[in-house]
Amino acid sequence: MAEQVRSSIAADGADRRDTPLLEARGICKSFLHVQALQDVNFRVYPGEIVALVGDNGAGKSTLMKVLCGAHHADRGEIFIEGRPVTIRNPHDAQALGIAVVYQDLALVNQRDVASNVFLGREPKRGFGVVDKPRMVRESRQVLQRLKINIPSVYAQVGLLSGGQRQAVAIARAIHQGGRLIFMDEPTAALGVQEQAKVLKLIEDLKAEGTAVVVVSHNLQHVFDVADRIVVMRGGRNAGERIKSETTPEEIVRLIVGADRIRAAEVA
Amino acid sequence: MAELVLRDQEGVGAVGGSERGVLQRLRDTRELGIAVVAIAMFVFLAIVRTDTFLTTNNLIGVAQRISLLTIIAVGMTFVMISGEIDLSVGSMYGLLAIGLSEMLVTWGWNPILAMPVIILAGVALGFINGFITTTFGIPSFIVTLGMLALLRGVTLTWIRTPPFGRVGGWFDRIFGGYVWEIPAQVFWMVGVVIIAAWVLSQTRFGYHVYATGGNPQAAANAGIDIRRVKIACFMILGGLTALASCILIGWLHGVSRNHGTGYELDVIAAVVIGGTFLFGGAGSVVGTFLGATITGLLTNGLILLGFEQDTEQIAKGAVIILAVSLDTWIRRRQRIA
Repeated sequence: MAEQVRSSIAADGADRRDTPLLEARGICKSFLHVQALQDVNFRVYPGEIVALVGDNGAGKSTLMKVLCGAHHADRGEIFIEGRPVTIRNPHDAQALGIAVVYQDLALVNQRDVASNVFLGREPKRGFGVVDKPRMVRESRQVLQRLKINIPSVYAQVGLLSGGQRQAVAIARAIHQGGRLIFMDEPTAALGVQEQAKVLKLIEDLKAEGTAVVVVSHNLQHVFDVADRIVVMRGGRNAGERIKSETTPEEIVRLIVGADRIRAAEVA
Repeated sequence: MAELVLRDQEGVGAVGGSERGVLQRLRDTRELGIAVVAIAMFVFLAIVRTDTFLTTNNLIGVAQRISLLTIIAVGMTFVMISGEIDLSVGSMYGLLAIGLSEMLVTWGWNPILAMPVIILAGVALGFINGFITTTFGIPSFIVTLGMLALLRGVTLTWIRTPPFGRVGGWFDRIFGGYVWEIPAQVFWMVGVVIIAAWVLSQTRFGYHVYATGGNPQAAANAGIDIRRVKIACFMILGGLTALASCILIGWLHGVSRNHGTGYELDVIAAVVIGGTFLFGGAGSVVGTFLGATITGLLTNGLILLGFEQDTEQIAKGAVIILAVSLDTWIRRRQRIA
């Protein structure tokens, strides 16, 4: 029930009413002779969970990297709340409220939770001295807000479980002031229980009004959390469905290309 | 020191299960463990060789050697925590020391000019190591191995007869003098250790050094310029090696052309015995000081116990392997669970 209500609200919003939080139009990107993205369009509305799916090499990671500043698009426009913006590097993206949770590349295992939440943005007290008390305080706050259960912000991240580590990475994205969070395969490396916790966390983020883009291979999880599913194939948009109006079978067809499925069925 | 205090505020041991707790605590009290070993060695030598070890002359000599080793090893601590290594440090030490000696004695430069020049030269050599390593993406192991040979070659080609001469005045006093019975080297070392420990554990740069060595990709994703961090670490090591060269010349008034040969082994031994992780991301300045103390006592102890000088190499090599094995074992156990 609740699931349906929520997705229909998102569906309404997604279609007409709001200005998209982020909109990309006609994005092209090539590496040497490989055209990785061709005329790709992408929108995310405030408080929406979008799943970005596709086969390996479909361009979903490249698109994510373009939108968070790790790659620079050859052509195309990006708008934040209707305003055209230029994203040249991760700092630009961060300043616009776009944060990324990279798969397994986000944390420094040897450091504690607070240092990881503030990685690269350590607050100073003057003389270049890091304001550790503030880091500890704010880390606790953001973890509490997200109902993330971690024994201590002084705990070394390498000693935490996979789910806890993912949660720390997400807490960092939130603390950066992310209004739009990209998550690259957020459940890939986790056990079943941990996966459920991360999915719950994604829903909590949505409830807080944060938009989340989940880049994932796992259609089960995509259907668990997403409001809208964007499919890419061969560096192009292959289709876009509201979750409540589609089925996993249809999404699979879009991912691999409908013709091939039909051919396979005939054979 | 500060590192210990910070961790203890909210026992990290609280993380969970019994074994994890124990191993975590073992690592957190790492400096304490190393300190216990150092003190045990001191007490052992004091008891077994009271008449030779516990003399003012011997203790001053040991302190002087530990001080110079610590100053350079502190620089190496930065480099190794950032995930790199510098094998050229011994050759650099030799070149900078003999270069300073040449300026002061042969060229008759005023130390007020020669000192900054040699410090800048050290920083520049560090920059070259860091620049080549990070720009071409070559392992620093290889780059600095090349520099080890290259810098030694420069020294041997440039200097045929090593200069020797007392500069005198303030230069000798600040680097080779004594306050009460305490040699100047010890004061320099204490200063370097305090400042470096503060920089590494309290400043933003220090945080970035740990992050760069711990997970370069994550650090870069978080907007840390890991190239700059690494180059800066190499420059710190170069600068501290130059400082040690100044102290050495002010104290001994000259060195041989082979000075510093094999010294990289002592330096790296001090750093890894002190608990700095061989692959970066963890370590401390205080640990390095304790590691240098153990190395210094080991050298002195073997001589006093009547072993031949050549056995020192065997002992040092064995201790390095032992320290790294123990360290790797503890860290691997921590990952499991």
